[in-house]
Amino acid sequence: MAATEETLEAGGRRRRTFSPRYPAWLTSPSLIYYAVFFLGPLAILVAFSLATQTGFDSISYGFDTSQYHLVVDSLYVKIFGRTLLMAGGGSLLTIVVGYPIAYWMARYLSTYKMLALLLILVPFWTSFLIRTYALKIILDPHGYLAKYLGIDIMYTKWAVALGLVYNYLPLFIIPVFASLERMDWSLVEAATDLGAKPFNAFRQITLRLTLPGVVTGALLVFIPMSGEYIIPNILSGGNYEFVGNVIGDQFASAQNQPFGSALSISLMIALSGFVALYILVATKEERFGA
Amino acid sequence: MTDRPDHLNLLAPRETKPKLDRLHRDIMAAVGHPLSRRSALGIGGLMLLTACGSTSTGQKPTGDTTASSDALSGKPLENHLEIFNWSEYDDPSTYKKFMALPDEAKAGLKIHETYYSSNDELLAKLNAGGTTYDIIAPSQNAVAQLVQTNKLLKMDQTLLPNKKNLDPKFLKASYDPTGEYHVIKDYGITMFYFNNTIITENPQTMHDFYELLPRYVDKGRTNLLDGAEEVVPLALMALGLDANTDSQDDFSKATDFLMGIRKGVTTISASSYIDDAIAGKIILGQGWNGDVRRIVQGRKKQGDITAVLPHEKSEIWSDNWCIPKTAPHPVAAHAWINWLLTPSTAVTEMEYHNYGIPIPSALSKLPPELTNDPLFNVPASYTDNYQYILNVSPQVVQERTKIYTQFRAG
Repeated sequence: MAATEETLEAGGRRRRTFSPRYPAWLTSPSLIYYAVFFLGPLAILVAFSLATQTGFDSISYGFDTSQYHLVVDSLYVKIFGRTLLMAGGGSLLTIVVGYPIAYWMARYLSTYKMLALLLILVPFWTSFLIRTYALKIILDPHGYLAKYLGIDIMYTKWAVALGLVYNYLPLFIIPVFASLERMDWSLVEAATDLGAKPFNAFRQITLRLTLPGVVTGALLVFIPMSGEYIIPNILSGGNYEFVGNVIGDQFASAQNQPFGSALSISLMIALSGFVALYILVATKEERFGA
Repeated sequence: MTDRPDHLNLLAPRETKPKLDRLHRDIMAAVGHPLSRRSALGIGGLMLLTACGSTSTGQKPTGDTTASSDALSGKPLENHLEIFNWSEYDDPSTYKKFMALPDEAKAGLKIHETYYSSNDELLAKLNAGGTTYDIIAPSQNAVAQLVQTNKLLKMDQTLLPNKKNLDPKFLKASYDPTGEYHVIKDYGITMFYFNNTIITENPQTMHDFYELLPRYVDKGRTNLLDGAEEVVPLALMALGLDANTDSQDDFSKATDFLMGIRKGVTTISASSYIDDAIAGKIILGQGWNGDVRRIVQGRKKQGDITAVLPHEKSEIWSDNWCIPKTAPHPVAAHAWINWLLTPSTAVTEMEYHNYGIPIPSALSKLPPELTNDPLFNVPASYTDNYQYILNVSPQVVQERTKIYTQFRAG
């Protein structure tokens, strides 16, 4: 209930001139759904992480923070660092590959714009798992890529990076495409008329105006990349672990739910910190730009 | 299992507890598990785990009563049998013939079977409780854990007269010292193979295998079987140590040894090594005997694979028939196990799945290409030195996982 009131207050502050047309309790099914299926499991995860393991299939709940002390072991800190570095690098690569595609679609296509969008989305109709296995065939050391182009990156971090970019690219292109679509291109014309070189016009007008789209797109890919499990599992041949793989091992093979949960919560906290910092920097940039 | 503190510090109305309990189990479903020798897709289990959870927040501890099955003989045969098994692990005719046996036909017994793809999945289901399985087929490490956590029914030996057919060596294994909770289904060993056009040496032991890794990794892909329960105990055994040790000293020796050969390992995977090795992509790797047998057969034309049954220590593994304590049809479950111990059934089974069943009278009836193949019928002179890898205690399992994580992270 408290959540409902807060939402109302916030809404009230933002749109002072409008009064809500429908009673707020109509939101309750959504809020209940959110509470039961998101906050509930999260609470259980927290309870797990503070519990103590007493045997193979038994834990006792309490307030035991020792699991969190184990998380800061240099081994796990190293894996955390690598995971965030890989996700950050993967997001950057996605921006470098995805932005030109979105730009091309929005600026150069008219009749075939929707067809291009459809083609971008088509791979999403195939299961994530199958797509990653397909990549394994393409990258195979005995495959065409290795044989004719000499690109033999299977079972290395580069294969993982490629898998990240390939699987998450559409998630980045779509918000950027949307913001490029909304852009008023006459502003770019105006800038050129006033003597701006094409690159300056792009940097000062196009990039600035589509920055919210880029920020959203980068977040949309960075967060799932940080929690990735399947891609490193299949493409690194067991050589490149993400935090997700360590968590999986803790739940299944070590049967250590408290530690697995503590790792999950720590990942969430680390990610929240990164995302908050990122949004802060990104929106500051936007404010100065405007 | 007994008087486990069972409370959840959550500010929630009492009546929501069942709901939270369900959530608690669901959250456990969002976990992966390592590969088993039978998984086809490396991570299929991630999606397959449906009900699991390790605590029994809502469950009535039905399995905790100390009721034994001693009073089973004389009870009538039930008309249903619920089997939870690895997929495609038994000949279809074994089921049909069982239902057609005189007593079973008279009782109108019907079999229903569902499948799992890893021991972790099986353990998670049993730990979550509420199962109605009569028969399960856990591997040795899971049997040890299930005996320890009091999840299995003590079998009524009078209902298993065919147990006399088994090789006596397999009656009381280290994972069930009294031999009352399991009957062996089949067994195998962990060995290694190499491409003899590239590696011209003559490695004999698991230790030799590990030593070759850093020296030949530049010549092609090398592969280790994955999973904390394989990598760490196998390294311990290569050093001549106890696979099931709980000594920190032994663990640090194994860690040093593993990190020393880390650069010699291209991949750590058990999901596709058979196909990859048959395609000629692996030059040096570990494997289970049934799989290595397929690799050797697959490379027959080239003849470039040498398979080595390790001298000294290595792993022996087994899959076993067990009856959960909560089984609703225990008499039928005993009848099933007894049927599988019939020599003629064992012959059919071995011809179907190509893993050894330790029933001497059945082994002698197999075609010579099976009986005489050491990769199928592993000589006792080797297996006598081998050890079963067990889930000894939560601490040991967690220590192995930590070393494994460190090994993978490099």
